[in-house]
Amino acid sequence: MTKRPASDETKLPLWAGPDDLTTYGENTWCPGCGNFAILNAAKSAIRSLEEEGVGRERVVMTAGIGQHAKIFDYLGLSGIYSLHGRAVAVAQGMKLANPDMKVIAFVGDGDTMGEGLAHLMFAAKRNSDITVVMHDNGVYALTTGQRSPLSPEGYKGPSTPHGNTEPPLNPLVLALEAGATFVARGYSGDISGLAELITDGVRHRGFSFIDVLQPCVTFNNRYSEYNELAKPMTESPLPFDEALALARVRETLPLGVFYRGERGSAEELLARGRNPVVDHGCREDRLAAVRKLLIGSTRPGT
Amino acid sequence: MLNDVFTYLVAGKAGEGIKKAGSVAASLFAGMGRRAFQYDDYQSLIRGGHNFSIVSTAMREVGSQYGRAELIVALDARSYEKHRGSLADGGVLVCDPDVISEEGVAPEGTSGTLVTVPLREEAAKYPYPELRVGVAGAAALCAVTGLSPDDLEALIRDEYPRDLENNVAYGRAIYEAIISATDVRFPLERGDDVLPILAGNEAIALGAAAAGLDLYVAYPMTPSSSLLHYLAKHDDALGVTVMHPESEIAVANIAIGAASMGARAMVGSSGGGFALMEEALSFAGMAETPLLCMLSARSGPSTGVPTYTEQADLRFALNQGHGEFSRVVASPGSFSEAYRVTAELMDIAWRFQTVGIVLTEKHLSECSATIDIDIGAAPWPEPKLATGEGYRRYAITDDGVSPMLFPPSEELIKSSSYEHDEYGVTTEDAETITVMHDKRNRKLAAIEKHVRGLSTAVWHGDPDAPLILTYGSTTMSVLEALRAGGLRAAVLQLVYLEPFPVWELEGLRGARPVVVEQSSTGQFEKLLREKAGIEASASVRRYDGRPFDPVELARSLEEVLS
Repeated sequence: MTKRPASDETKLPLWAGPDDLTTYGENTWCPGCGNFAILNAAKSAIRSLEEEGVGRERVVMTAGIGQHAKIFDYLGLSGIYSLHGRAVAVAQGMKLANPDMKVIAFVGDGDTMGEGLAHLMFAAKRNSDITVVMHDNGVYALTTGQRSPLSPEGYKGPSTPHGNTEPPLNPLVLALEAGATFVARGYSGDISGLAELITDGVRHRGFSFIDVLQPCVTFNNRYSEYNELAKPMTESPLPFDEALALARVRETLPLGVFYRGERGSAEELLARGRNPVVDHGCREDRLAAVRKLLIGSTRPGT
Repeated sequence: MLNDVFTYLVAGKAGEGIKKAGSVAASLFAGMGRRAFQYDDYQSLIRGGHNFSIVSTAMREVGSQYGRAELIVALDARSYEKHRGSLADGGVLVCDPDVISEEGVAPEGTSGTLVTVPLREEAAKYPYPELRVGVAGAAALCAVTGLSPDDLEALIRDEYPRDLENNVAYGRAIYEAIISATDVRFPLERGDDVLPILAGNEAIALGAAAAGLDLYVAYPMTPSSSLLHYLAKHDDALGVTVMHPESEIAVANIAIGAASMGARAMVGSSGGGFALMEEALSFAGMAETPLLCMLSARSGPSTGVPTYTEQADLRFALNQGHGEFSRVVASPGSFSEAYRVTAELMDIAWRFQTVGIVLTEKHLSECSATIDIDIGAAPWPEPKLATGEGYRRYAITDDGVSPMLFPPSEELIKSSSYEHDEYGVTTEDAETITVMHDKRNRKLAAIEKHVRGLSTAVWHGDPDAPLILTYGSTTMSVLEALRAGGLRAAVLQLVYLEPFPVWELEGLRGARPVVVEQSSTGQFEKLLREKAGIEASASVRRYDGRPFDPVELARSLEEVLS
């Protein structure tokens, strides 16, 4: 019943499309969309990681809901296509279940700075060892161009015909303040730079947040602005206070790793070396543990 | 003593160790080889207010606290005023003379004995007198049940080891004062069989753990929090990872992410928090991600009465989530059933890649009792796993269950909240949408077939007597009421509520049962009518947040059963 094409003779997997990291899913992004660049950068990052010995089977993905999230259908990685705003929560569950895996959450700016902001802040706060790639097009594209939490004041969309009355949030400042230990800005117009940032983010042990400037050709085309303002940082990464100061700058859009820090990850601290999936154990051991606890239970709360 | 049940009530302010005093009594009774049931009535506050704990004990199983107590220890004036009417005939009420406005006033309407002992004045002889008064409960208990001063000292040594010498001195002084003031004694028979004591939420925790729980995720909300606390405390002992994230929305989505990787994950909350998980339950339904949930109802709607009980979340549990997907709901009617049902639902969740909901109430979650668990009754869930190449996460199968596979794998494993094809890739194709709905719906039949093999309903009592239908923690109240009132009745308790066990109700269409529940609108009664065409002859409902009292319930049942 599935609409996927029949297997061909190139020895690609059954589900594969044009290459071994792309599925047969029909791509429905607008021509010229920055999402294509993010998909290509992600594939490039996965190949780089493979060269370092991190096989693609050890990298899993999730996504929110929105134009960004279609990457889930196209990219040949295992995972779960989540809900609007919830990918960062889902990604943390994936990582906690099996800390040996690398987890990438592809999220949208509307998706994760609006509906899911709390998840992003807390994932940063607890330094969950996941990589969040935020497709930042400053607009709700899939729902026809409403303002996002990152749209500038005055932005006119179907829900704000008189212009956006709210100033945008600053995602890099929020991530830094919340405790993210890897904070970077990429640009879909610089695929190789972005691929490097994603690779670095996945390598980093701790919470990685990559804000990816991504023009929306249909609703919010900022290619010329980004081409002019988005330039690689001269020095990277920076000490925390300098990173924060640079993140506040709005006149230019420096690209690269703003900050990289080190502290224990949520999964290391919470599970204390336990890998829930790998260490699932056997029935006999579990029943013995339950029996021991039950016998010692001479009053509630013991 | 009514029906050989001895009841102890201890009351005072929050922060005075009232619950602890109740637990000490339950532990003492259990240690004597007796059965015990402990109910804690507390308010949504930390200090002050009014708390009380009731422990009822007998040589046979006790399924409820009793409202009338043979021994009441009232630690403050409010406790005295509130509970002096609850003294059983011939009982003893111990309190401080300061709490009584008129010296020597007997407890209202009873033939009981008032014993005034300067509990606070005596406590003031030691440091931290406010932490000392709980020991008075243990002293009164030992005195009135005819235990020796040495028994009391052993009890204090076990239960109040901090500042032990002073506790013993204080306890002995109170004991002597009571012994010399009254010769009323309630000697308690001893048995050989010492059972452990467990709260309902602890039984649920152990059931989940026995069924392979890997990860428990929850946000605190009474009366579910004690499940979170228990698993967090025993995480290493049980091999369970426990996480308390930023919200219930995060809770459910973290659990789904973890389950998609193969972790046996569970979430728990009460009404408001569970409502926040609703979007994610539909997600689990569409993605066919196994998810075990515990919903412990409190008095609602909304914030309601956080620390009190109700059964008003039945329809909520049955109808959670938008769209059409399978879920299984079961409600335990005893502590041991809480263990078994939780383990069964974990198994069902993984066997059929579905949502399982353990529906319970504050009354079961937070009461505790001597418990006899068949630990081996817990199944060990093993999902159907795929073999070979060309994995399709949503492969079309006869029973609708697609074999699972978890990363890391050479195969591509894609689950999705979107409608999808067999590979998990998003689709809007009309034919595929229909095929996928049909596939998921076939699981309903498979689930029902499996559930029919389980204990979906339990008959209690005398099968030839008039019929009572009930479910959940109210079952314990009904059974205890029959014992308290010496009533004859057949009690049919539904354990599984979705799939609704119509097969258990065949032949009962004309039975006209009495329906007992803790809902103001009669949700269970309406469900029986809707699903099985059963019309109740009478309804017994309580919805003031308090569990039924067996004696009062017996009176109500007696009226409607005849």
